[in-house]
This record gives sequence, structure tokens and C-alpha cells, in this order.
Amino acid sequence: MSKRAFFYISLLFALTTGFVGGGLHAKTPVRVTEIHSENSPIVTFRVIIRAGSINDIKGREGINALTALMIAQGGTKELRYQEVAAKLYPWAANVDVRPDKEITVFVGNVHRDHLEKFYKLFGDLLLNPRFDPDDFTRNKDLALSYLEKNLRGTDDENLGKDALIISMFANHPYGTAGATVQGLKSTTLEEVKDYYRKTYTTGNVWIGIAGGYPRSLVTRMEKDFSVLPESKFTPVALPQLEKIEGLEVDVVEKPARATAISLGHPLNITRKDKDFYALMVANSYFGEHRTFNGVLMNRLRGDRGLNYGDYSYIERFIGGVNSGSRFPDVNTPLRQQYFSIWLRPVQPENAHFAIRAAMYELSKFVAEGMTDEQFQQTRKFVSNYSKLWAQTLDRRLGYKMDSEFYGTDDYVDRIDKELKTLTLADVNTAIKKYIDPRNLKVAIVADNVQSLKEAILTNAPSPMTYASSVSERILAEDKVISVLPLGINKAKTRVIPVSMLFENESPGHTLHRKDDEGKK
Amino acid sequence: MRRTVGTITFCALTAVSLVAENPDTRNKEFPYPIHQTVLENGLKVISIPFDSPSIISYYTVVRTGSRNEVEPGLSGFAHFFEHMMFRGTEKYSKDAYNEMLKSIGADNNAFTSDDLTAYHTLASAAALETIMDLESDRFMNLKYDEEAFKTEAGAILGEYNKNYSNPFQSIFEKLRESAYEGHTYKHTTMGFLKDIMDMPNQYQYSLKFFDRWYRPEHCALVVVGDVNHERLVGLARKYYASWKRGSYTLNVPLDPPQSKEKYVALPWKAQTLPILAIGYHGPAFSDSKIDMPAMDLLSQVLFSQTSDLFRKLVIEEQAVEFVQGGQTDSRDPGLFNIFTRIKDPKNIGMVRDEIYSAIERAKTTPVSAEKLAEIKSFMKYSFAMGLDNADAIARSVAHYVQLTGDPESVNRVYGLYDSVTPEDIMMVANKYFSANNRAVVLLTMEGDKQ
Repeated sequence: MSKRAFFYISLLFALTTGFVGGGLHAKTPVRVTEIHSENSPIVTFRVIIRAGSINDIKGREGINALTALMIAQGGTKELRYQEVAAKLYPWAANVDVRPDKEITVFVGNVHRDHLEKFYKLFGDLLLNPRFDPDDFTRNKDLALSYLEKNLRGTDDENLGKDALIISMFANHPYGTAGATVQGLKSTTLEEVKDYYRKTYTTGNVWIGIAGGYPRSLVTRMEKDFSVLPESKFTPVALPQLEKIEGLEVDVVEKPARATAISLGHPLNITRKDKDFYALMVANSYFGEHRTFNGVLMNRLRGDRGLNYGDYSYIERFIGGVNSGSRFPDVNTPLRQQYFSIWLRPVQPENAHFAIRAAMYELSKFVAEGMTDEQFQQTRKFVSNYSKLWAQTLDRRLGYKMDSEFYGTDDYVDRIDKELKTLTLADVNTAIKKYIDPRNLKVAIVADNVQSLKEAILTNAPSPMTYASSVSERILAEDKVISVLPLGINKAKTRVIPVSMLFENESPGHTLHRKDDEGKK
Repeated sequence: MRRTVGTITFCALTAVSLVAENPDTRNKEFPYPIHQTVLENGLKVISIPFDSPSIISYYTVVRTGSRNEVEPGLSGFAHFFEHMMFRGTEKYSKDAYNEMLKSIGADNNAFTSDDLTAYHTLASAAALETIMDLESDRFMNLKYDEEAFKTEAGAILGEYNKNYSNPFQSIFEKLRESAYEGHTYKHTTMGFLKDIMDMPNQYQYSLKFFDRWYRPEHCALVVVGDVNHERLVGLARKYYASWKRGSYTLNVPLDPPQSKEKYVALPWKAQTLPILAIGYHGPAFSDSKIDMPAMDLLSQVLFSQTSDLFRKLVIEEQAVEFVQGGQTDSRDPGLFNIFTRIKDPKNIGMVRDEIYSAIERAKTTPVSAEKLAEIKSFMKYSFAMGLDNADAIARSVAHYVQLTGDPESVNRVYGLYDSVTPEDIMMVANKYFSANNRAVVLLTMEGDKQ
């Protein structure tokens, strides 16, 4: 079972019948991206709807996700949910949905032995959804449970990451976990149907297909999906972000054995920008995900055994916690990216030290940059490593669509191209230009938070102790780290009961208001 | 990963093996040729050509997992040792090892379970010899001091901590602890928390553990992708031939049959819905007996999304978020685990009774021929669709190597799936699913009224 069931619902469906209505060509042609591979026995569909949680209606936060669930975990006009499941089961085909911030992607995988029948169903789910009231109750329960039970109760690492996003993107459409409790509770089935009619349109739909499909299928899909209401794609305007001043800390309080920590700030750079690739090499050196290459991993875990892992990112990377993949996820693009550091849970008594250690390394990294040797080694690594990312057609298709989203060449090819001409000066300039170690948001998930908050606010020393002797180098560093001033913004450092997170219409905004009320 | 079953018609293989002990895939369930050579010291060298141009997946399978942790107070050591294997040798220090992997752009990691520890590297095929140099060196010459050992113990505790907020870690701990008496499956692969806390004091034992288990006769190399078997064997002889066999003999105590039902109530402080876990003592894996394949089909009969139970509890009554069940293959008799998350604490009893009723029906009601065919088809295509890259294929083969030491088990067990009958399914339902043979863990949030 997926722990992030709400955001990555995997279904095993079967169907022998199903009808995809063929209609007239609309004025706005349906966008298609394809990778045809004659010998591939598996066919992958990635149908993107260019709408995500940023399109949620005020007071109905979560309506985009709920609509997506009603399609992927609902029936068709002809077949109820369980009939769909029963008919498609023998083919072990799957339909996944991931409603994200900017887009919602429906993924279908099927062996080509059953392509024809599967496509009829897959298309029918998207074009003729059933919107059954019983399915609505079930899906709403699932979505609410994800927020109220999973995130608030049983998944501290993702809780910390979402708390960081809510804090970084306060008063911005990105600043939610994809839904709120009150938004979901308020949403009716009629509103979902209306959202579907207005959002699942020819201008918003974007079909991706890869594998050994007959070429005629693409033309057929273009025609079939053109029955959707006519529209042109209009992106949601993204507002200016609030300035971060110093270290602004949110401590989320809940019962917890260990303390989860995330840090970050928005980043005005994406895959379309040349500097992104300079920053990619720098970030790999500092905190490559799930490897022992990064400075953070080696200093915090390798030298000190503080926790299980320590990584950094220059774009959204949501597959990190529960996904089996160690490579960048596909189809989670953002126009406004962010830099983040993920410290996996530490012993509570080491939390303050761990934050300081990460800040010590980050400040050093920005101040000193990389040496030529480090640059050459890391550039070579990223160049080779990135070639492992697109082993399957499904991932290649996902990267290709993401590249089109950003308006750039194929991602893995672009990495190869940019890295060839990259210089050490490019990288060190990019580090200083884009990474700001003085102004960051920090999200901490912890139990018994008052003492931690007090220690952070008073800049209290946080000496580190070890089970065994450690090197003089580490001890000398620890002396500096244990009293490192963090530049805490006391006015914007808050304790938030976990029950407040994900509750109201605009969490970032609401939290500020609640906090102010608390002071009164 | 579980259930990778069936015959498939995959894409044509492009690589041709020159040394082909077993290259013929006709009448085989696994769609790729498996080449195997056993070196004089007992190390198995297995290759599977697969169309992944210029990429290989390189697994070293050690048939040692938490099952091997027979001494009291030392649970979790197989997993701990997996971490220590990244601490370097005299020839390649920890940093040198990482730098070499970095230079080839490799993805490199490891995992441990009940019956195996697997070290895996995904990299360019051109890096094969570099990988074999590095891997053979650490498997033969691992060297670390007590300081490094104690530091790594902190990372193990960190791994335990990162999993802790998910109640399933605690549920698994309690289920196993109550279900087993003396067998080492009593603890999870992470180990008992008290043993994890004591790990920093067990440096000497760690040296003994390496000496016992990191021996060629317990290991297999599984290489999938752009690989030539003859060249692989030549390199294996060059880098691994001096590896000496060990002498330790393992004696894992088998439990007597359980005589009465066991029950554990597990209160939980953080927000959660009630989770009911039921574990029945099932069979050990075998590639010649019908029990385990029949159990796998039974799990589909009872818990697939097309099952009566799923329809009733998830779709119609919407009493649970999910209900699922199955047994993971294991060398010794394992548990068939059932999990369900219940929306309202008041329905715990009703849900439990529905599960038990479905099991009772499976004992007396033969599955229809049509349903059986659907299940076999589902399993066949699940398997086919899972084998779409070199790493997934290597992992699948490693799974069977850990169980029997023979990669051909993959073909034998898949052959058995085709032969499972409705009577076989009823047979295992009657044989393993009695009240006296189960352990039950119920996790509820503190303060919930049931």
C-alpha cells in the first residue's frame, strides 16, 4: 500500500468494453507527445490536465485532487467502479493519478496484448466519468484521511516537507498540501462535476504515449479527446513571494519519537535556464539525493551518525520519501521552484545541533564554492548518472513532457549538452547568485517543542556527544557548530499544533493569523 | 516485491551469450536466458543479457539476512552489516570507494531482508571491471575501526527513527514478536530497538559476522543488461577466485506448531485510524511443492480488488480504506499477513468477522474456473510488466537466488503456478488458516472508543 495514497493512487483495473466517444475536431487541437518504440511490449499513457491545486476554487481547496480521484477511482458512464475493476483485472493494467500543483497526470500502463480494450476504458474514464455519489463519499474520505491521519499522524517526513512548502509559499497558490480539510469537506459532487466541465478541456488536456502502439492510435486519440469542451490553456498567475528575513522557523508539534527537519527558500530558476545546470552540479556536490556523494550526507551522517540521510534539492522532488526511485521524479513541474535541504529524522536531543550543522555546511558551501577538482569530479558524475534516469519508456515520456512544459530540450540531453561547456566559474557564480544561507524557512516536526523553540530563540549552545571517540577535526568543527548563531527571526518563529496544518482555506495565511491570535 | 509470475512474450533479446549453460528459454516461464557458472570457491556467477544498451545492473546477493541472527541481543545485525560494507578497505577507503563510483556515475546501494542482503550498482556497462574490482575488494577485505563502527550505529538508529512515525513498523514488530517463539523471524530486519541501542558495543561481534557470512559459498553475482557471460566469468575469476570459503554452520531453531491464538493491543499516540493485522503461519518457499503458489493464488481470491471481501468492505459498505493480504516468500515458514485500515473504530469487530468469514468460505467453496483463469492471467501480466529494466530483472532473479541458491527456481515456481487447482487453494486454506495458527495485532489511537 502506498503511504501517499491520496497523491499517487494506483488502481488495477480491467475492462472488456468501454466506449470512447468519437466527436468532431475542436478548434484547439489536442496536444500530443509520443515516443514510439515498435519492440516495446508495454504501452504507457500519460495524460496531463494542465490544472493542479493552483486551480482550486477558494473555499474548495482540494477540488482538483478530488476530481482526479473521481476519474481514476470512479467508474464510467457505462460501468460502475467495481465493474471496471473486475473487467480489467486479468490484464494487470494500472491507472494511476497524481494531482500536483501545476498539473494533474493520469498514467496508464498496459501490455500491448490488451491495448485496444484498455485504451477504450482509459479514455472512457477521462471522457465519460461516472461521478457516482458512493464513489464521491469514498474518495472524499480517502482524501480527508490522507490529510488528517496520514500526514498529521503517521508520516513525519512528508509532514515536514509539506510544512516547509506551506511556509515558503505563504499567500501563494503553491502553499498547500494539495487540499485542506475544510476545503474538502465543503466540496460537493455537483461542484466537482462543474470543475470537471470547466477544467478538462481541449486546451488543458495533453496526451502522452510511449511504447509499441499502432501509429494510428495517436490520430484516434486526438479525435477522441477533441470531444472535450473547447478552450485555450490559460496559466494561473503566480504572485510575488513574500520576502524571507533571517531564519523563519515553524515547529510543528505532534507526538514523535524523532525530529524531522526541512529547510529551504524559493528559487527563481528552472530547467529552462542555463544557470540551472550550473546549480545542478553544485547541488549534486552538496547534497545529491540518496547517495554518499554529498557534503551534507558525509558530514552529518558519515562523520557523526546523526541520522539516516541528508540531501539537498534545487527543484521539487516528491518521490524522495516513499518512492523506490532515487532519480528525479517525472511530471511534477513547477514554474516557481525552490531550494531545499532534507534532514531525515534525528534524535530530539540532537535537533538543534543538526540544524546548525546543516547551516554551517551550507554557509561554507556558499562562501567557498567548489574547487576545480570537486567541480570536475561532480560534473563527470552528473553527466554519467543522469543517463541512468530514463531507462524505461515511461520515464522517458515523463521527462519529455516535462521538458516541453519548461520549454527546453529533452532534459537528459540538455544536461549532457550544458555540462560539456560548463566552467567552475559558472558554478561558483550560480551558487552565490541563487542560494541564500541567511534567509531560509525551516520546518521542524517534533514532540515537546517548547524547549526546542526556547533553545532556538535564545541561541543556546547545542553540544554534541558521541558514543565513541571522534576525530580532532570533527570535535573542532563541533565547537564552532554548537554555538553557531542562526540568525533566527524571532517574530516569525512559531509553534504550530499539527491539528492546525492543512485545516483551512489558505494554510500559510491562516497560520499567520492564528499565531497572531495566540499572542493576544 | 512479490508475485512476479507467468509466461510472457517480451522484446527480442539482442545479446547473445557465448557460454550458455542454460540459454534456452523455450518452455521456460522466465523470458530471458539465465547463464550460470559456479567458481571453484562456490561463488555463483549469473548473467542475464537484456536489451539495455550500455547499462548493467550488478547485484551481489548474500544469502544472509535477519534469519541468520540466532544469538540473543544481536538482532538487526545483518542490516547493520550492510551499512558497514560501505566503510572501506585498505586498498579503497570509504572515500576512495565513493569517489570511484562517483567517477563512473553509478547508482549504488543495498538492502536487507529476512533471508538476504543485496548490494546493487547500476552503471555503464563499460564500468564492469571497475565495479568488480571495487566489490570483490570490499567483500574480501573489508576493514573498519571501532570508531567508524560506532558512528554507523547512529545511522542505524536514524533509520529506525525515520520509519517510526509510520505505525506499520510497530505493527510488524508486534506481529512477529507474538507469532514466533524461538525462530529468528521473531524480529524484523531492523531488529529489536534494545538491540539497536546496544549496537555500538558490538564491534567484536561485527568482525565475527563478516567472517561467518561474507564467504563465496553464500554469495552470488547477478549481472543483467549489456553483459557477456564469458567475459563476466573471466573477470570473476580474476577478482574473486582468491576468496576463501568459510566454515560456520547455521542452526535456526524452528518453532513448534502454534497451539492457540495470540492477540496484541497496540495503543498509538499520534493521529491514526485503527489498523487490524492478522498473521497466519504459512509455508516456507519451495519450488517443488504446491503450497506457496496456492497461497499466492488464495491471496488474490480473498483480497484482490475483484474479491468479494474488497467489494463489500471497501466499495459497498465503505468500512475500510483498504484490505489486503499475502505472504512473502521466505526460506523458513513465514506469515501470511492481512492488513486493513478501518474508518470507524466501532466497526473493528464487524470487519474482523467479515475477514474470518471470507477465509472460512475459501475452505469449502472452490474458486470457479473462470476466476482462476483471471487470477493466473493477472499474475502473468503483473510479472511481465514488472520486468522492463535491468535493475528490476536482477532484483527478481536475486529474489529466487536468496531462497534456494538456484536462479532456475524462477522457472520451476512459475511452472507450479500454472498447475494450481481450486482444490489446491482450498487445501492451503484449510491447512494454514485456523484460529490457533494466527496472531492478531490491533492498533488504535489512544482514547478511541471501540
